[in-house]
Amino acid sequence: MFDLSTPLARAVFALMMGLIALFLFFPIYWLVISAFKGNAELYQIIPTLYPHKLSLGHFTNAFEQGHLLRNLRNSLIVSCSAAALNTLLALYAGYSFAKFRYAGRRGVMILLLSAQVFPFGLLLISIYPIITDLGLIDTRLGLILSYIVFALPVSTYMLYSYFSQVPSEIIEAARADGASELRIFHTIVMPVSIPAVVTVFLYGFMWSWNDLLYAMTLIVSEEKRTLGPGMLLSYLNEVNSDWGGAMAASIVASAPIVLAFAFLQRWFIQGVTAGSVK
Amino acid sequence: MSSISLKNVKKSFGAVDILQGIDLEIADGEFTVFVGPSGCGKSTLLRLICGLDEVSAGEIVIDGEIVNDVPPAKRGIAMVFQNYALYPHMSVAQNMGYSLRLAGTDKAEIEKRVGDAAAVLRLDKLLDRKPRQLSGGQRQRVAIGRAIVRKPQVFLFDEPLSNLDAALRVDMRVEIASLKERLGTTMIYVTHDQVEAMTLADKIVVMHAGRVEQVGSPLELYRRPANLFVAGFIGSPRMNVLRAEADERGTLRLENGTVLPVTAPAGARQVSVGIRAEHLSLSDDPGAFVLRGRARVVEHLGSDMFVHVSVDGASDPVIVRCPDEMELAIGSAVSVGFEAANAHLFAPDGQRIVSADARRSAA
Ligand SMILES: Nc1ncnc2c1ncn2[C@@H]1O[C@H](COP(=O)(O)OP(=O)(O)OP(=O)(O)O)[C@@H](O)[C@H]1O
Ligand SMILES: [Mg+2]
Repeated sequence: MFDLSTPLARAVFALMMGLIALFLFFPIYWLVISAFKGNAELYQIIPTLYPHKLSLGHFTNAFEQGHLLRNLRNSLIVSCSAAALNTLLALYAGYSFAKFRYAGRRGVMILLLSAQVFPFGLLLISIYPIITDLGLIDTRLGLILSYIVFALPVSTYMLYSYFSQVPSEIIEAARADGASELRIFHTIVMPVSIPAVVTVFLYGFMWSWNDLLYAMTLIVSEEKRTLGPGMLLSYLNEVNSDWGGAMAASIVASAPIVLAFAFLQRWFIQGVTAGSVK
Repeated sequence: MSSISLKNVKKSFGAVDILQGIDLEIADGEFTVFVGPSGCGKSTLLRLICGLDEVSAGEIVIDGEIVNDVPPAKRGIAMVFQNYALYPHMSVAQNMGYSLRLAGTDKAEIEKRVGDAAAVLRLDKLLDRKPRQLSGGQRQRVAIGRAIVRKPQVFLFDEPLSNLDAALRVDMRVEIASLKERLGTTMIYVTHDQVEAMTLADKIVVMHAGRVEQVGSPLELYRRPANLFVAGFIGSPRMNVLRAEADERGTLRLENGTVLPVTAPAGARQVSVGIRAEHLSLSDDPGAFVLRGRARVVEHLGSDMFVHVSVDGASDPVIVRCPDEMELAIGSAVSVGFEAANAHLFAPDGQRIVSADARRSAA
């Protein structure tokens, strides 16, 4: 580690941290201030570093136009369903891989993880015809299913790793206490694994929330459009580019994720299994 | 309460045979202790009896019924795990009541039984705590409490005290002894600790490399070990062993010709003579006893002392236990002796043989 005892070292360290912070936060800062600038100020040749005149116009516009709220609602439905379904599947798959021994276990696991090797965009070529054949084009279900395809391998692996750490003895103790396997999973293993479950839920949620490509391709009708395509198509299309509106909409779009993290972070506490085994 | 019998029980993991055919009878209400070196299969055997693993061959019979295919919860067995295995997200009361809740026992009854067990184990003030808020000894008691509330036919303890400090071990040992008196339930107890084994057991089973070496009461094992392994394993410090050779008349001599005060039966040639530290006498007069040697290490324990003596004609030093009152300089010449009645003789294959003196006195 650095020796931070001299003032010079401390100054250099502070400067470095400052630069990193600037690098990370400047785009976010720019996004926020741009959203609060009036159009006149926004398109000045020499940009202002903060809104000289605070304007909420972009926000009122965004909400008045209506499609932002509709997009938001669609995104919430799709992302929550995908995240929930993904978590549910990953829970059982991960537990089975972690705590049961059966023929083909390793093979299936490797197969599952190998799906992660293919790029997101490439798989669209194979997913698109499948979704079409299933008659799920332009449905929320089709979108949800294709998000799960991507989130599931890593989610399963994350839960597999976590469950592997859960001491087998507490599972055996429950078995000896007379609990059925499902009961053990629901009353012992899952409560002990809440941090991992929350993490996996958020992971699946982010995947779906941030996607543009699949949502653009698999959803056609305007009333089912999610935030990504919605914002792109309404603010930055061939005829106009409403940067201020896009910025304001981005803030609205990020809010649920920020709120979700804020609300769920108390579950990211360490040591849920503390005290169980020596 | 239940009797248990194991008939030629075997367990292999893949190609490795861990248990090589265990036969054992445990009577109703008996307190049986399994001892043996690390890795000899004690935990494996306990897990088979509990039903957590399946036997590779053989039968496990509880109360006359073959239970090979009976799930753990239906065997009437409660197991206390070596590492406690408490449910971390449940309070002490919930941990203890879990099995009863699963069985559909009504709330009042659960509360009563948990309360009773908690009182016995002095956990009554801790019922609302989570495991992480407990000390090691308290967790251990919760693990035992969880077993007690089920009122099992058989208790299995896998080294329950191994994680505790010395003082707590003594407390908990007394606790378990009184539990045994009060409940009278059949108990099987695995330990590495000599004192626990000797004080708690009605019957000790000495295991070695997946086999049972000897079964008997603590004093039987101490007084008449069936082979060299048991002789070395039971008793602390280890039994001393002198390699000797017998002539036609049974006279036993060390390598350098020293004649031992015990006679081998007819026909014996190579004989291992075992004598416990407490059965050896020590003198600082080199002429007092037959074995001559020098004091190498002196360990003072307060009441006793252990003197390590390198004996002329013997390859390994012997340990002598004597009252801690002798002034002994390291390297000083000493002599060591013993009585024929206290010597254990073993054949080259390690099995016990009876000395000629003992035969004579028996006749
Ligand atoms: N699941 C398993 N797979 C393969 N080998 C195993 C398994 N469980 C135990 N063994 C092996 O079986 C042998 C006996 O293990 P066991 O845990 O019964 O020993 P133990 O007598 O309880 O030892 P200790 O006193 O150290 O607890 C060991 O050599 C161990 O490596
Ligand atoms: Mg063990």
